[in-house]
Amino acid sequence: MHDGRFDPGGFYEFNLNGGMIRTRNGERVVVLSEDVLSSLVAAAARDGDLTPLRRLGELLGEQALASLDRPASVLSAEAVLGHVSAVTALFGWGRAGFERWGSALVVTLRDKPELDEDELGAAALLGGMFSEISRRQVSCVPTGESKFIMVDFEVAETVWGWFKDGADLPAIIGMLEAKRAS
Amino acid sequence: MTDREDRLRSLLDKVRAKRPGERETHAAEAVDRLRAGSGNLAAAAPAAPLSDPPTSPQIESPTRYSSQPPRVERPLSVEPRARSSAPPSQPALAASPTQRPAAIRPQSVAPTGQPVVYATEQPEFPRPKTFGELLELTLSLRPR
Repeated sequence: MHDGRFDPGGFYEFNLNGGMIRTRNGERVVVLSEDVLSSLVAAAARDGDLTPLRRLGELLGEQALASLDRPASVLSAEAVLGHVSAVTALFGWGRAGFERWGSALVVTLRDKPELDEDELGAAALLGGMFSEISRRQVSCVPTGESKFIMVDFEVAETVWGWFKDGADLPAIIGMLEAKRAS
Repeated sequence: MTDREDRLRSLLDKVRAKRPGERETHAAEAVDRLRAGSGNLAAAAPAAPLSDPPTSPQIESPTRYSSQPPRVERPLSVEPRARSSAPPSQPALAASPTQRPAAIRPQSVAPTGQPVVYATEQPEFPRPKTFGELLELTLSLRPR
């Protein structure tokens, strides 16, 4: 719709009398300062439960999907990225980008809020967002420098372990190989 | 200096190195005679090539490549009226050899945001992968 580009016009509806902000899809949102959000995310990361951030990512994914005129799978990566980056920007989550490293698709999220040192908050958000967009269980594993490798949900823990052991993105990709998904 | 003269000079140098002073005169005279014969050492030398002495060292000179920019006879931006000077019935390729080639022009210009439609043949470059295809690839990654 709208020549395939994301239209940010009228994205938010401010109801000053009611004290509410809604997106144009009807989702109620709350504006939080980065400091407050950072504390919440840090606590969630410590507890090992980032489900709320993943859920927030799914909501962002729904926003992006609602603006697409066709399924994301048949669109070009550039077209999908245009909608994804628009939504992340509208919610103040930074500038999203794609990078292709061999067979791996890597999501970048520049100028994002500084939440937790391991970037697990942003990873949960992106995982939820792309799971919603692709209708698949997707994980975005942090690999440093605001890059997140997109992998199947089942191998995310392994990849995360490699990164925690010191492997950088090229090394991680070298330890992966493309196999036909079952 | 020709190649043959080079060889003789090289030979002369070796002789000088082996027996300083003894053969120098004879070899120098030989070179001078050859040069005086026609003024062109290569032309005066016998037809059979001189064989190098067994101790002749191999000349190892690196192959040097020099890049030269192509000759630009006119700027890449050409005036649009250059093509209209030829008669309409005369094909552009049938013009005289000195005539400059026609300006390169885009064959079609797609409107902004619209895909280019290839009516007769597929483009030569591979089709870019869709987001779904990229997703399949990255989700198929497994530990080795």
